Amino acid sequence: MPNVLVFAETRAAGLRKVALEAVTAARAFVDSAGGGEVHALVAGPAGAASHAATLGKYGADVVLTCEHAGFARYAREATAATLAERAKKGYRAVFVPFSANGRDLAARVAARLDAPLASDVTSIAAAGDAITVKHPGYANKVIIELTIAGPLAVISIRPSAFTPAEKPKSPRGESVAPAADPGAERVVVKDVVEGAKGKLDLGEAPVIVAGGRGLKAAEHFKLVEDLAAAFGNAAVGATRAVTDDGWRPHSDQIGQTGRQVSPQLYVAIGISGAIQHLAGMRTSRTIVAINKDPEAPIFKVADYGIVGDAFEIVPALTAAILEARKGH
Amino acid sequence: MKIAVCIKRTPDSESRFKVAAGGSGIDEAGLKFDIDDFASYAVEAALQINEKQGPGETIVIAVGPDAIQETLRKAMSMGVDRAVHLKAEAAPFDGIAIAKALAAELKSGGFDLILFGKHAFDTGAGIVGTATAELLGLPCITAASKLEIAGGKGTARREIEGAGEMVEFSLPAVVTVDEGIARPRYPSLKGIMAAKKKPMEIKPAQLGPLRVTVKAMELPAERPPGRIIGQGAAAVPQLVKLLQNEAKVL
Amino acid sequence: MVNAENVVFLVVLLAAAGFFSLNVRRLVRYMQIGHAEPRWDRPFARAWNVLRVGIAQAKIMREPVAGAMHATIFWGFMVLTAGTAEFLLAGVFPSFSFAQFLPRPIYALYETSQDAFAVFVLGAIAFAYFRRLVLHPKRLDGDNISHADAYLILGMIAALMVTLLLSAALLEVARPGRVGEPHFASRVIATALSAVPASVAWLAHRILWWTHALLVLAFLNYLPYSKHLHVVTSLINVYFSNTSRKGEGAAMRSMNLEADVEQFGASDVEHLSWKNLLDGYSCTECGRCTAACPANITGKLLSPRKIVVNARQRLMQKGPLVTNDRLEFLRPKLARADAFAASRTPAQVLEHRLLDHYITDEELWACTSCRACVTECPVSIDQLDVINEMRRFLVLTESRFPPEVQPAFESLEKNGSPWAFSSSDRAKWADGMNVPLMADLAARGERPDVLFWVGCMGSFDDRAKKTTVAFARILQSCGIRFAILGQEEHCHGDPARRLGNEYLYQMLAKGTIETLDRYGVLTIVTSCPHCFHQMGNEFPQLGGRYEVIHHSTYIERLLQEGRVPLSSDEGKRLTVAYHDSCYLGRYNDVYDAPRETLRRALPVMTLVEPARTKDRGLCCGAGGGRMFMEERTGKRINAERVEELLATGADTIAVACPFCMTMMNDGAKARDSSVSVVDIAEVVAGRLA
Repeated sequence: MPNVLVFAETRAAGLRKVALEAVTAARAFVDSAGGGEVHALVAGPAGAASHAATLGKYGADVVLTCEHAGFARYAREATAATLAERAKKGYRAVFVPFSANGRDLAARVAARLDAPLASDVTSIAAAGDAITVKHPGYANKVIIELTIAGPLAVISIRPSAFTPAEKPKSPRGESVAPAADPGAERVVVKDVVEGAKGKLDLGEAPVIVAGGRGLKAAEHFKLVEDLAAAFGNAAVGATRAVTDDGWRPHSDQIGQTGRQVSPQLYVAIGISGAIQHLAGMRTSRTIVAINKDPEAPIFKVADYGIVGDAFEIVPALTAAILEARKGH
Repeated sequence: MKIAVCIKRTPDSESRFKVAAGGSGIDEAGLKFDIDDFASYAVEAALQINEKQGPGETIVIAVGPDAIQETLRKAMSMGVDRAVHLKAEAAPFDGIAIAKALAAELKSGGFDLILFGKHAFDTGAGIVGTATAELLGLPCITAASKLEIAGGKGTARREIEGAGEMVEFSLPAVVTVDEGIARPRYPSLKGIMAAKKKPMEIKPAQLGPLRVTVKAMELPAERPPGRIIGQGAAAVPQLVKLLQNEAKVL
Repeated sequence: MVNAENVVFLVVLLAAAGFFSLNVRRLVRYMQIGHAEPRWDRPFARAWNVLRVGIAQAKIMREPVAGAMHATIFWGFMVLTAGTAEFLLAGVFPSFSFAQFLPRPIYALYETSQDAFAVFVLGAIAFAYFRRLVLHPKRLDGDNISHADAYLILGMIAALMVTLLLSAALLEVARPGRVGEPHFASRVIATALSAVPASVAWLAHRILWWTHALLVLAFLNYLPYSKHLHVVTSLINVYFSNTSRKGEGAAMRSMNLEADVEQFGASDVEHLSWKNLLDGYSCTECGRCTAACPANITGKLLSPRKIVVNARQRLMQKGPLVTNDRLEFLRPKLARADAFAASRTPAQVLEHRLLDHYITDEELWACTSCRACVTECPVSIDQLDVINEMRRFLVLTESRFPPEVQPAFESLEKNGSPWAFSSSDRAKWADGMNVPLMADLAARGERPDVLFWVGCMGSFDDRAKKTTVAFARILQSCGIRFAILGQEEHCHGDPARRLGNEYLYQMLAKGTIETLDRYGVLTIVTSCPHCFHQMGNEFPQLGGRYEVIHHSTYIERLLQEGRVPLSSDEGKRLTVAYHDSCYLGRYNDVYDAPRETLRRALPVMTLVEPARTKDRGLCCGAGGGRMFMEERTGKRINAERVEELLATGADTIAVACPFCMTMMNDGAKARDSSVSVVDIAEVVAGRLA
């Protein structure tokens, strides 16, 4: 009957979707192993305990709250110390989201515990004494199945791999003291610069919306920008033809002589798909193409294509995305 | 400054992969290997820091089989001063084990800064750098997209899903670098020639027991050929559904 | 009878000759700063070039009016040199004359020629002044060249002609009958001056005689200080030049990378060869190279003339210091227009170098290696050689190149193609076409008659793939036993070589040669002129010898032999402008095969020629590795060319190169033109029965 300790990641006092995914994964794991408890640990400023109800809705049996003003932002060393300390208390596994901070946390905790760590997994299963996980490696080109040996495993979970599922429990609450002072971090957070100010870099944006000649004029690029904004985590790219004509700065150019990108989702609007452009984006995980010309080469590399007038399709898509993303 | 960079040898990211006979590894026939992309950003960042800060030393370290020596030479052809090869039959998938081997080597090195790539192309795990820092008891900045070092202190920016976290720290420290930190220089023929004569130490890697091992590898389902799902704005709802449920990117 | 005047003249003559030889020696010593290079091969071909390009002024005549003007002055110069020799000898030995050993009629002809050419040259000089001052051709400006030098030279030549004729005329007035009748011009002038008293005429004659003599000697000694040095060096330069060669002779300089050297390529004059430096002496600053340069025409910094002039200027700066030239007052001031001229200390001069301080990397990267400059140069200078050597230095020694080139280098190294496409996609174009692979044939112990080398563009670029398919269909329709390498094909490294990365190039080329030799390949046909030139003409440097044919030549042969099953209907009445590929044309002299191919395949079409065509054709802009670079300044080269092609009224632009195809397509799209751009193979394939 394994118990799993889950790190419930928060941001700006709110529970993140990845936290619920991790709890769901833990719940599924312990249930498949014939029972056990899911303990969710939340580290946050005063009021963090209020997340207990939500965590319980998704299957947490116990919600451990570590409240300290210093956890208002990611206090990496104190969080790792606290999570690692707790993990010593009879758990089979520690689940952490493989988010930007989560991956940092998981590695710290595993090192502290001298426990094996498997990252970015998409499925978890018990296999006798061991745990097996699957992880898409080689830039999602090869699915690797790993066996984790040992009494305690640290596992970080790929965001969006598990869909939060409600499995309501009435969780017991427990207060946990920080195992190290969050005010004594050696990595000091000076500032967190929110999205709009810090324009997403093409190289790290999970979604890229790019426009080409098919948009006809510079002012129509607003359609591309609106769609990018609707995604919330998208950067705007352009083809060489467009940057050459000065509609967009050269730094936005995606292609052979511009940026080579590999986002999760690439939306190509009014782009024909010349070899030089494809060289810059064809390794994107999912490619959507919107173009008037059904013979355009871009449709050969796109996973999903819509033939038609971008000026009609893109606004409709923008509205649909905004709708779909409500509550992320 | 004395800077160590830990690198990995990985296959070219553009390759098409096949699973090897036996099913627990990839078929390496015909694959081209090189310094992992993120590790090469780390090498470049180290070289630039020492170029800016005045004379210093850069050392490159890697865990793996003999083939990795070519990769270490490549780093030296970019300008790194010397290399350490921690010999192991293969670079394991157990990130904590690699971290232990590296920490053992780095412990007594007196490094001001230790750099890693934020993750490697093959494992995509992002474990080794941060875990090594933890084992060495050093402050660690994971996935820095910007890095400035001056007067024994550092500032960095981490991308945290739609926002940037600006941090400060003191040296010695460990930083794992993200794209955007530096563009790796192209080695000149002069550099390639010089690298052949630079020193390389070879020692066994102290990995310890491997607790994360590959059980099997398989290729994902064939990416279905691109399909045009519809015409005009009417196709939009179908597209959103597919993005949510099939592609799982929403 | 030798008298005091003769002795004085002898002294003056010896002094002038002595001074001149000191300068010659100095210039030769500077030239020897460059590295050694054997050019003693093919003496007959070289001599023939001197006759054709030099004596017959073949290249100068490419511009008919200026050409005729210069040829007159040049031939006049040669003819009058004989007279000058006689003149100077007579100054020492008063009774000396060629008449002493030439038969009378020959000597009479010789005398007529002197006067005739003196008049012609005067006329040409007058036109030259008019041209420079009034017509003011654009190419005579720019690159900081000096007009003063030109005017001075023209003036001196004019003065020489005038003093020659006047001196003889006044001699005739003072001593009637002394000047032979064949000297018709002098005698006419003498008649006009017959009123001058004999004693005055005699004095004037002596003064003009001495003036002429001193002018000759002054002119001779001014040469090392002027661009007119080409008078001495140009025929020699043409002899030692390789620029008239096509095919294998137009290959880039081979390079030994095993050499244990501190630098590769050229950053300063001592890294260039003696021939490059001789080129510098021979440059007349005419500017024809720059006027033909596609980069310069569209507003880039590059000027081939400037490359040559800068190399010479730098040599004049550094030469004296390196050769420990202590005769400062002799130091030629060819660097007069040089920004670094007077004000630098020797230490500063040595600290600087040709690269960066004279020639910038921006200029070097702007070159498309189209060879127009080399084709135009009347004295056979190789501007491209210097550009290539300096690119090699930038890449191999300093790793300095436009940032967008790095992904191309890295992809070539890892992927065997300048673009990040998986090599396993190489033969996808052949799906469903039943095209045999070399490996499959070899496994059956068979060998094809010809290897069809597809190339990276033809394998990966969507538009170029259509050309590949078209050509394959043509081959199949003719029953040709061919095969492709498929996934075993990888780039031969030509783009790397053009960009100066000789190391990467040799790695890729050797790999390709190994594969070809493993299959025992003898004959290769390819639809890309860059592949064609590289494998046919440059592979021999690395030991790869194959018969390589471009698809235009191959298809033309098939058409000629009647082997292509063409449709019996007329076909479309297209108006086609064929755009010459630089690597087919200027590098390999292939102009007619593509045109003939079009004519034979589509007899009803009308072929129109753009203003700049065949060996004057304007480059599409993609050569010299520029396909992989951004074009950041001036007008786009492909736009310039497309405009020119559209001005012919053609509805179709035909090309025989995938790079040209891309450039013409982009250019046409940018102008929203509906002109269709097709490869000649597509035209022929479209006519298959």
